[in-house]
Amino acid sequence: MLSIVDLQARIAGKTILNGIDLEVRPGEVHAIMGPNGSGKSTLAQVLAGREEYEVTAGRVDFDGRDLLAMPAEERARAGLFLGFQYPVEIPGVNNVYLLKAALNAKRRAAGQPEVDAYEFLALVREKMRIMQMNESFLSRGVNEGFSGGEKKRNEILQMLVLEPKLAILDETDSGLDIDALKVVAQGVNTLRHPERAVVLVTHYQRLLDYVVPDHVHVLARGRIIKSGDRSLALELERRGYDWLLESKVA
Amino acid sequence: MSALPSQGAGSSPALRSLETIWKARAADGLSAQRAESMRRFLALGLPTIRDESWRYTNLRRISGREFVAPAAGTEATSAPALSAEVAVLLEGLAPAASFTLVDGRPVPWPSLDALRGALEAASLRDLLARHPAEIAPALRAPRDEDAARWSLLNAALFDDGLRLRVSSPLPAPILVLRVPGAAGAESIVHPRVLIEALPGASATVLELHVGTESAALANSVTRLELGRGARIEHYRVFAGADGAAFLDSLDVVQEESSECRQFTVALGGGLVRAHLDAHLAGRGARFEGHSLAAGSGTRQVDCVTVATHDAPDTTSTQTARAIASGTSRVVVNSKVTVRPGAVRAESRQSCRGMLLSQGAEIDARPQLEIYADEVKCAHGATTGRLDPDMLFYLLSRGLDRATAQSLLVFAFLADVLIGMSAGGTRAAIENALIGQLPDATTLRNFR
Ligand SMILES: Nc1ncnc2c1ncn2[C@@H]1O[C@H](COP(=O)(O)OP(=O)(O)OP(=O)(O)O)[C@@H](O)[C@H]1O
Ligand SMILES: [Mg+2]
Repeated sequence: MLSIVDLQARIAGKTILNGIDLEVRPGEVHAIMGPNGSGKSTLAQVLAGREEYEVTAGRVDFDGRDLLAMPAEERARAGLFLGFQYPVEIPGVNNVYLLKAALNAKRRAAGQPEVDAYEFLALVREKMRIMQMNESFLSRGVNEGFSGGEKKRNEILQMLVLEPKLAILDETDSGLDIDALKVVAQGVNTLRHPERAVVLVTHYQRLLDYVVPDHVHVLARGRIIKSGDRSLALELERRGYDWLLESKVA
Repeated sequence: MSALPSQGAGSSPALRSLETIWKARAADGLSAQRAESMRRFLALGLPTIRDESWRYTNLRRISGREFVAPAAGTEATSAPALSAEVAVLLEGLAPAASFTLVDGRPVPWPSLDALRGALEAASLRDLLARHPAEIAPALRAPRDEDAARWSLLNAALFDDGLRLRVSSPLPAPILVLRVPGAAGAESIVHPRVLIEALPGASATVLELHVGTESAALANSVTRLELGRGARIEHYRVFAGADGAAFLDSLDVVQEESSECRQFTVALGGGLVRAHLDAHLAGRGARFEGHSLAAGSGTRQVDCVTVATHDAPDTTSTQTARAIASGTSRVVVNSKVTVRPGAVRAESRQSCRGMLLSQGAEIDARPQLEIYADEVKCAHGATTGRLDPDMLFYLLSRGLDRATAQSLLVFAFLADVLIGMSAGGTRAAIENALIGQLPDATTLRNFR
């Protein structure tokens, strides 16, 4: 579904991604871990189509399409979803209208008619129940005045409404209390499907207790330096990253 | 008229032609005040970009012209049909009373019998002929002659317009529609509208200025007088073709405990100079001035709002939002003066601009002068571009770039739009604004 080969990218003259290789197949959950500043968010943003990053080498194939040739909005409509590490507040743009516009953009791209107003509301209500979100969030500005945890729930709500083929969730678990973590994990698990895949960027093993990954990767200095199964996350939790970084140098 | 200073070789064709128009006019009951106004106007001359309050507005397109008074016999006797563009602005509006000024002259209006005891209307031409003394006090010189010099010219040359007197709360808005008629582009008209809200009365007034390429230049003045405890919500909207020019001055005088909420919306025309002078003369008077200035193409918009606190416990709020695309230039300048004795005055000013193209310019400037004690004044100004993080967020959700950009622009303007309480008016203005943004159809669904 997603095939990344030797992806390199830089910003402000500084190379951040140093040759990423990653293969994500339908139905899989991948976790990407790694020290602060290693390039995890950069990878997520480059995949989502942020233009400020300059891709200097590599190829990315998404569902048989050349992902890097598509603008951000097309990638979204093709079924790629980025859950932001720091969701931006957009006062004056209504949360529910954004949801509806996003869903309709996707439907139009798929040749489907716009969603019926009642159907849409029913759909959103159902997803909000899963996320245990109060309906008052619908009428507010996008993320406007939301707490850190509420912003993350809102990201997952959007994901559930849009039902992407590939969800890249950048530290969606950071800043969540224990109950919220379970809710978010449940949201992610709701999306799991043999035809869909999830990439979780996280610092904590805790989330992986609830959303069990098939593969765990360590990203450091813009490269994936180690991959393994679930047990790698447990080992990282115990030992940190130093042993990996040292062995790399040696 | 020999008392007038004669203009030297440096004077522009426009100024000379205005002097000619002045000399040709017949005397009336206000001749003394008019002469004084004209003397001051000629002494100041036409503003140039060297004048502080005109720095950003190039009036070359006006100063190079030779104006004439509208030819006799061009006066309209009925309201002309409205263009589709203007009709959109009036959609959903159910006014209590409507007045149409064609080239500055009111055409006969429908009977106001249903509003007897609440609203009275008179044409200024009638009042000038019969009771000029009733108009004289409203011709008082503006506080800032430099910025308001066109209103001096209006005081000298106006010969028609409207006086509305509101004596109790009105159930629906009053519409004053200003449209061009047969007077050609070489002529200049000086319409004047006086709106008096007597003590305890309240009204919503929408003044819609419509311009066309071939229209006479309108140098209009509106004066709002609010008696004790009176309330006025006033809208002035400028719309029309790129070739149209508007020079408009709005004077607001507020007595004790009165409340004025004013919205200035510049949507069209090639040149819009919208001046506003609010005088908070009575204790506890409250003034709100909100401007929405949309520049596109080569349009120049210059919104200057001045609130003068002249009594204790007065409050003023000014919000200005400017957007500019193409090579347009937009100025939103808001000024607060707190005069000695205006203790416990409170003011807030927020001027923000959003640039939508490389070639556009915005000047968003709050100014503050305080000469009294115990006052609370806050102000802020920013000008920037579309926030790249916000834009990327919307794109990453699959929205078209044009839709995303327009949404963000619209959200930026929302601070002012939200304050508009005249439902139909707000919807109409939103509609017209959206119409100027890319991807209007999708945006309409967003409301
Ligand atoms: N716009 C930018 N300009 C300059 N440097 C940048 C920019 N964006 C990212 N970087 C740098 O790229 C590196 C990788 O940043 P990135 O946000 O991808 O790290 P991360 O792995 O997500 O870290 P964290 O775990 O703290 O979220 C950092 O050193 C960061 O400072
Ligand atoms: Mg990060």
